[in-house]
Amino acid sequence: MMIVAHQLAKRVTTAEGPLTILDEVSLEVAAGDSLAIVGASGSGKSTLLGILAGLDGASSGTIRLAQHELSALDEEGRARVRAELVGFVFQSFQLLPGLTALENVMMPLELHGKPEPRARAESYLQRVGLSHRLHHYPRQLSGGEQQRVAIARAFASEPKVLFADEPTGNLDSATGARIIELLFELNAAQGTTLILVTHEARLAQRCRRQLTLEAGQVVGLTGAPVGEPVYLAPAAGAR
Amino acid sequence: MLAWRLLWRNWRSGEVRILASALLLAVAVVTAVAVFAERMERSLTRESNSYLAADRVVEGRLPIPDEWLIEPERFLLRQAQLAEFSSMVFAGDEMVLASLKAVDEGYPLRGELEISTTPFATGSDVVITRAIPARGEAWVDSRLLPQLGLSLGDQLQVGELTLTIRQLVIREPDGNRGFSVMGPRVMINLADLPATEVIQPGSRVNYRWLLAGEERDLNRFTEWLAPQLGAHYRPLTLKEAQQGLGEALNRGGSFLMLAGMIGVLLAGVAIAIAARQFAERHIDQVALMKSLGVSASKVRWLYSAQLLLLALIAAIGGCLLGELFQRLIALTIASLVRVELVSAGPYGYLVGAATGLLCLLCFALPPLWHLPRVSPLKVLRRELTVKAVDLWARGLLGVVAVVGLIGLYSRDLKLTLAVVAGLLAVLVVGGGCAWLLLRLGRGIGRSAGSVWRLALANLERQPQQSITQMLVFGAALMLLMVLFTVRTSLIEQWRLQLPADAANHFLLNIAPHEVEPVKALLAERGISANSLYPMVLGRIVAINGAPITEEMRPKSNALRRELNLSWAERFGDDNKLVSGDWWDRWQSRQAGSHGVSVEQETAAELGLQLGDRLTFSLGGLELEAEVASLRTLDWNSMRPNFYFLFSPGALDGFSPNYMTSIHVPAGGKLLINDLLRSHPTLVVIEIDRIIERIRTIVDQVGKGIELVLWLVLVGGVLVLVAAVNASMAARMQDSGILRALGSGRRLILGSIGLEFAALGLFAGLLAVFGAEALLLGLQQLVFEQQASPHWWLWVAGPVGGALFIGMLGLIACRRVVTVSPWVVLRDLQG
Repeated sequence: MMIVAHQLAKRVTTAEGPLTILDEVSLEVAAGDSLAIVGASGSGKSTLLGILAGLDGASSGTIRLAQHELSALDEEGRARVRAELVGFVFQSFQLLPGLTALENVMMPLELHGKPEPRARAESYLQRVGLSHRLHHYPRQLSGGEQQRVAIARAFASEPKVLFADEPTGNLDSATGARIIELLFELNAAQGTTLILVTHEARLAQRCRRQLTLEAGQVVGLTGAPVGEPVYLAPAAGAR
Repeated sequence: MLAWRLLWRNWRSGEVRILASALLLAVAVVTAVAVFAERMERSLTRESNSYLAADRVVEGRLPIPDEWLIEPERFLLRQAQLAEFSSMVFAGDEMVLASLKAVDEGYPLRGELEISTTPFATGSDVVITRAIPARGEAWVDSRLLPQLGLSLGDQLQVGELTLTIRQLVIREPDGNRGFSVMGPRVMINLADLPATEVIQPGSRVNYRWLLAGEERDLNRFTEWLAPQLGAHYRPLTLKEAQQGLGEALNRGGSFLMLAGMIGVLLAGVAIAIAARQFAERHIDQVALMKSLGVSASKVRWLYSAQLLLLALIAAIGGCLLGELFQRLIALTIASLVRVELVSAGPYGYLVGAATGLLCLLCFALPPLWHLPRVSPLKVLRRELTVKAVDLWARGLLGVVAVVGLIGLYSRDLKLTLAVVAGLLAVLVVGGGCAWLLLRLGRGIGRSAGSVWRLALANLERQPQQSITQMLVFGAALMLLMVLFTVRTSLIEQWRLQLPADAANHFLLNIAPHEVEPVKALLAERGISANSLYPMVLGRIVAINGAPITEEMRPKSNALRRELNLSWAERFGDDNKLVSGDWWDRWQSRQAGSHGVSVEQETAAELGLQLGDRLTFSLGGLELEAEVASLRTLDWNSMRPNFYFLFSPGALDGFSPNYMTSIHVPAGGKLLINDLLRSHPTLVVIEIDRIIERIRTIVDQVGKGIELVLWLVLVGGVLVLVAAVNASMAARMQDSGILRALGSGRRLILGSIGLEFAALGLFAGLLAVFGAEALLLGLQQLVFEQQASPHWWLWVAGPVGGALFIGMLGLIACRRVVTVSPWVVLRDLQG
């Protein structure tokens, strides 16, 4: 199993009292599999993604990413795991405005001391069809192009798991479709495990599993079951 | 290497440019000012040394022991000796009491000896010489010739020796030794001295040992010499030689220090603002880096390394730029006043570089400190806030930085604490006032047109940001106003102190029957004399009945030489009574006793208290007087001044002579010749060259100040630009939305212009309050000037602030109306 989450919960204290954002969510995702987390705004999708990716800690429950018990690690420990295993694609692209496309892709490679960051970044930008845009700054690129740079950046580190948060949320449907193609193409080529958050049905359908959240609880799982389970229904959430 | 690449990319994208510029400017300003000030100080020291004719002088009543004379060579120093004393000189039946000076090869070691073959020569007739009188020769004062009816080439009898007058002494570097040297100068070769046989046991001879060399060697030598000086020898200090030239220059130095300090503070504020802006822009970048698995410690290291690299670059670049600035200043000055500045040591550069590091640590690090703590989750949830370092912690560090910088710079705790207290008070009081002004602004805005309403609503919407900006603008304007005002009043003060018609000659030894003829002659030549002061020569022989012993003499100059004693009904406005009573209120403890008013420092040297009794010997007669008051004197006034002033009538029985000071215009020097010809016993002391020298130096300092002011002004503008830039993103977004909604250029530019102008107006008001308060303290504590309100500031501050800051805001925001709103909004999102 690449990801095993058991009874994950996230509770926060607000001015109006305690608030449960995630409630007893358990799931398993096999290596190389793909899972779409869907749900309305405020259902807890992004919170779940953040916890699964080790960006945030859960209030209770356990989570294992590859061989690492994330729930037992502090932020520094989780950072090491992210550096080793995780890649991201964001709705708002998260490109650094002061860096060129090439430098944006090179940045994580340089930060982790990977060999030949430039050649590798160029090769990935070529794979996403931007070899003619290497030295352009984000503001000189269209939304679709910016997301392609972000995808190149995510895959260039060759992560074991790729987390994508609404990757087509800021794009028109035609551009979004091309981005979806690209994402799955690279995913298949590199055998990456893909977890994505979306409210776009077309994108969710491209994943092998779709997990639906409502008010922090799992209310459904669709998709073809093969071999191993991607979803263990919690007692409270099995409706 | 990675940090280097990141820094380069940050630079290229413009994110560290203001930070780097502010840092570079801080280092450059401090380096330029510190190096320039040091060069000035060294030049002035050398200038002062030329008043000693050496770097160090040892003087004594006995010849310098032979065993000492072999030592300077061991310490790599040059040396020369001279002996000075009064003696009668003769030409036929005529005789005059002259001031003899016997010098040996090498004199003067510092400064220049000017001679001529034309009496009272000026300009091209004057020759600078490295030589001294050859054996058998005498070089004399121009005024000796009319007194003895001699010309060049004639014979002069000194004791048993006959000498030939070969040259006229126009100026000696160490010639300005006050009124103790009374007679006209006769300079001879030291080797001729024994043959004159004028020096007998008990003669009052002043032997001087001149030394020159590197400061380090001189210090080593002084250490060696000090324990052996004993009671007969003492080092001659600069202060005595310089005769009050320093005061004006000290103020110039204080101003340079203040300017440098203000420059650093301004640059510090710019650094803090730029660093904060940098930190805000990097929150997303850090969140992204952390989401990619970069640990907090690595983030901290990466940013610290970037800051250190920046500090290093700023240190090198700033020092180079500072060097360039100070050379420019020196060059400008050199072309104006023909003064060669001595080169500086490493101190100024070190202070400059340290300033860069300290500024970064205290101003830039706090805003960046929280960056590594940015949650990686922020990549998913942009609304997450980042907890910055506590305000009080940042404030504390800011205070530490300001204290450290000012302390490092001024090396004066009192000044440091005063400036810091002043700044803190201005910030606290200013903060309250800023809040009130904002409230006031809202009231006005409600009843005003849409442009005004929009502008004032913008200010009021984010009160904390507006108040901070107002304080920053206000502080910058305040510091600039202070600097400008101090500079203006300093230069004004100097001009007043040394007016073009300042007295440049002292006339002494005017006999009572000569008073009227001298006055008449002066009037005939159109020269007005200051009041005539009666003067009697005397020595102190006892204090409170206890005779002065040889051991007591080194304590004060007043015990070593004859004093010029005078009396006065009133004291001049350059005197200030510090304790005791003046004659109109003074009552003697012993009926019928005379009173004497003593200069404060002399009284301290002699350990005198009010009521103590001093016994003077005046031409063999004794006079006792009681210390009635203590006074301070302003030697810079160039008017006759006396250490001891008696009550009227006290000196009546001692046949006084009179003295006065006059201004002889350039080219009118022949008057001196005529005066001496008709009144041969008159003594003339020429200080015109000294005054000219002081003017030159004051000019030099003044021009330096002017240039430093401009340099600091650049710092002030940088702060304003940084502060305007820091608030730009939010304003751009608002304006982008307004434009997208169809608002016209006029409304948007009008509201932005008004918003900044209102900020500038309020800041200008705060600045005037702060500047007046700070000026009050500075003028009283540091510059010793009369403090008075500066009415023009009250108009110039707010109006200038509104215009200048409004304009800066418009320039910075012009993009919002020149680029399509879509691009503006997209850029801000990207």
